[in-house]
Amino acid sequence: MTATIRAEQLLAHSPARVWRALTDPALLSRWLMPTDFRAEVGAKFTFDTGQWGKTRCEVLEIEPGRLLRISWNNPPLDTTVTWRLEPEAAGTRLIVEHAGFDLADPRQAFAHEGMRGGWAGGIATRLVELLTDAD
Amino acid sequence: MHPDVFDALANPIRRDILDLLRAGPKPVKLLASGFARGRPAISEHLKVLRDAGLVREEPRGRENYYHLDAGPLQAASEWLAIYETFWRLRLSNLSTLLDEELP
Repeated sequence: MTATIRAEQLLAHSPARVWRALTDPALLSRWLMPTDFRAEVGAKFTFDTGQWGKTRCEVLEIEPGRLLRISWNNPPLDTTVTWRLEPEAAGTRLIVEHAGFDLADPRQAFAHEGMRGGWAGGIATRLVELLTDAD
Repeated sequence: MHPDVFDALANPIRRDILDLLRAGPKPVKLLASGFARGRPAISEHLKVLRDAGLVREEPRGRENYYHLDAGPLQAASEWLAIYETFWRLRLSNLSTLLDEELP
């Protein structure tokens, strides 16, 4: 009984440019989170999530310009994140799937109950505002 | 979110019961027949699910029927919404970065 989160965005840029933003650690650090990512299967790296510490990751699969899959481990969370790039019109549809959330594991949900306090305390509200502005 | 919901979901038999009820209300007898553990054990599981608010019981003639109540399950998935929002914002960041800055 695991759940997957899916989000996608149509970008007005070529798959090559999107791939660069996805695999260049300096760019990735700017739009996602600070990271020492290396585009190499088996490479171990982290994302610095700030108040929730470092998420430990490993590159699991690479198809240049098409697919990137990594593990996303921040106990008790043991998940994977997959990005897919699909050419669409003159741009690229980027699909992200974050899989492996165990709804039946109370530890996972409770870890996030604690987290929600921080988010509800301002971050989530700010996110919603930013997203609304972007529309 | 009520802790009982997670305790209730932590048991595989209870998850199977909820799965069976997704197709519609069912009498206890029919639910029990699907499990090797027998009716008393199933009744105990149904009590845990009832206490967690995941199922409700409805007397129909001589039988008690059980209904699935998805409300608490939706609450349980609220924490996933945090991640969903996280990814939507990050993808929006990426879009801005590509539009405005990446040469």
